[in-house]
Amino acid sequence: MTVTRPWAALLLFLAIPATALADGDSDRALVAKGEYVARTGDCLTCHTAKDGKPYAGGLPMQTPIGIIYSKNITPDKETGIGDWTYDTFARLMRTGIDDEGHSSYPAMPYPSFSRIGDDDLAALYAYFQHGVDPVRQANRKSEIPWPLSVRWPLGVWRWAFAPAVQPFQPPPQADARIARGAYLVEGPGHCGACHTPRGLALQEEALSDAEGSDYLSGGSAIDGWVPVSLRDEYGGGLAGWSASDIVALLKTGRNTHGATLGGMNDVVVHSTQYFTDEDLVSVAAYLKSLAPNKDSPPFRYDDTAAKALFNGTPPTKGAQIYVDRCGGCHRTDGKGAGSVFPSLAGNPILQTADATSAINIVLAGGAVPATATSPSVFTMAPYADVLTDQEIADVVSFIQTSWGNTGTATTREKVTSLRNTKAR
Amino acid sequence: MKPTGISPSRRAFLRTALATTPATLVLAQQFFHPSLGLAAAETAPKAYQPAYFTASEWALLMSLVDRLIPADEEGPGALEAGVPEFIDRQMGEPYGYGALWYMQGPFRDAPAELGYQLPFTPRTLYRAALPAFDKAVQARFGKGLVELDEPTRDDAISQLQHGTLTIGILPPLVFFDQLLQNTREGYFCDPVHGGNKDMAAWRMINFPGARADYIDWVEQYGREYPFRPVSVAVTGG
Repeated sequence: MTVTRPWAALLLFLAIPATALADGDSDRALVAKGEYVARTGDCLTCHTAKDGKPYAGGLPMQTPIGIIYSKNITPDKETGIGDWTYDTFARLMRTGIDDEGHSSYPAMPYPSFSRIGDDDLAALYAYFQHGVDPVRQANRKSEIPWPLSVRWPLGVWRWAFAPAVQPFQPPPQADARIARGAYLVEGPGHCGACHTPRGLALQEEALSDAEGSDYLSGGSAIDGWVPVSLRDEYGGGLAGWSASDIVALLKTGRNTHGATLGGMNDVVVHSTQYFTDEDLVSVAAYLKSLAPNKDSPPFRYDDTAAKALFNGTPPTKGAQIYVDRCGGCHRTDGKGAGSVFPSLAGNPILQTADATSAINIVLAGGAVPATATSPSVFTMAPYADVLTDQEIADVVSFIQTSWGNTGTATTREKVTSLRNTKAR
Repeated sequence: MKPTGISPSRRAFLRTALATTPATLVLAQQFFHPSLGLAAAETAPKAYQPAYFTASEWALLMSLVDRLIPADEEGPGALEAGVPEFIDRQMGEPYGYGALWYMQGPFRDAPAELGYQLPFTPRTLYRAALPAFDKAVQARFGKGLVELDEPTRDDAISQLQHGTLTIGILPPLVFFDQLLQNTREGYFCDPVHGGNKDMAAWRMINFPGARADYIDWVEQYGREYPFRPVSVAVTGG
């Protein structure tokens, strides 16, 4: 009788010793928790090569001294970290010292990861041992010429800039929500790796808000994109955004003020869209708690340019190009259209003296990434083959300085140099 | 008075073109940009090397389109606009291979409203029709089309249009319609496709080109649209 079969299965299930079942469940829960920690740390983006297997490493990263490749962190015993003990794993995560005693290049943000709590680190270890498919793929050697390839200076670097493991300290007077946000941002999220300016030795100027208000005050260009300030400040920061605007950007790659660019697209796709809503709210609350690092006046919308364009009297060549090429989506009032076409008026990337990101998106175009809750991809076409360097300089200068934007004009030379960098 | 030649049909197709242009733009058609007109005149057309047409076909094609849209005080001719280049490039596209048309049999005579019924793709149509037309012109006028003076060329093309000049198995009007259609397309296309050099045809009719929208102008009643045309992808356009 076929009806009895499910009952037989149930009996078999009940016959499994209760202890084994409980262990299996807790292991699974630990691995699942570790997977979430891996998402908050965005391990995938750097530890996966283009079209490569997840976490098998091999992504090239250009550093000032040469190309280095991310490592295989799958549980393959020979080429990955399958035979690492928890202690080996924890030492690497917190001190940058690998299984052979070598110091890692600080492209691995271990000064931030040292703040990851014991519970999260244990879960992360469980995930990389049991939750990831092992991939046999040997690590690629870095392409750094001798003597720069000598590794001992990395130990000196570590001694100078990350001398001791820094457990996470919640900001003073932080409520539970802000403390959770601070933990995610300063610890696994390692937002400062891009968004904090770096010193001469490429060390982050501050690893937490407590270490200085340079923390998250905006980094220098990576692949032609300038990470904005994440502090609650004008002049390129997030002061014009509410906490829910920040949540929307991290969840969907877009909000009614702007959209992600460059490397942040990967962060949203592989990391922040998986954050729980509660964690996103915590991150936003923490970022909104960061006092201004610079004294910039609030953004105030100025309708001079909008009126001139509406009237058919663009004041400059750049303004004419804007009408011809950009205004269809970004509108002549610079306000874009909802979360579909990013607003340029007040957009953080257009408020500083560095027009690199604006030039780059005009040259190369871009696309708002698809996420689970916002699957539509909105694309901006590249204009490298449509506009000359002078025309791009003209239109970017117009955008940087119109509608109240506090950015500065740019030059043809700057566009030419970015175009040549991109072409390489 | 200027000799009219084939210009009645030119006027006819300009009317067609204008009818497809938004009415607001037609209202603005008297508006010209002298400085841009000057810039266009200074730009020397580059010598284009045909990829599909043979040397004799190419000479004949140029001679034909030159009479379908001759240069005059209203605007550039088909040659200045780059129409032959456009048609040659069309022949290399899926369109030229008939890939956009239903090209399965049966091939039978059918009423005009049922559309094109021949087994010829644009490529094979030109390849068959151009020499056949030139041969017919030779037989009737004693010279190839390229050697005839303009009024005689217009006469030959008119006879093609009216079916009084036979070109082998091809219906003369089918070839004439194909040629006229492609000539119009090359004259008014975006310059990115090789025709409408310097957007001169667009300027002539005050068509503002590949613009995304006109929302700012929807409620500015009675105002002339002030902007020059833009090409979808030509540098400096």
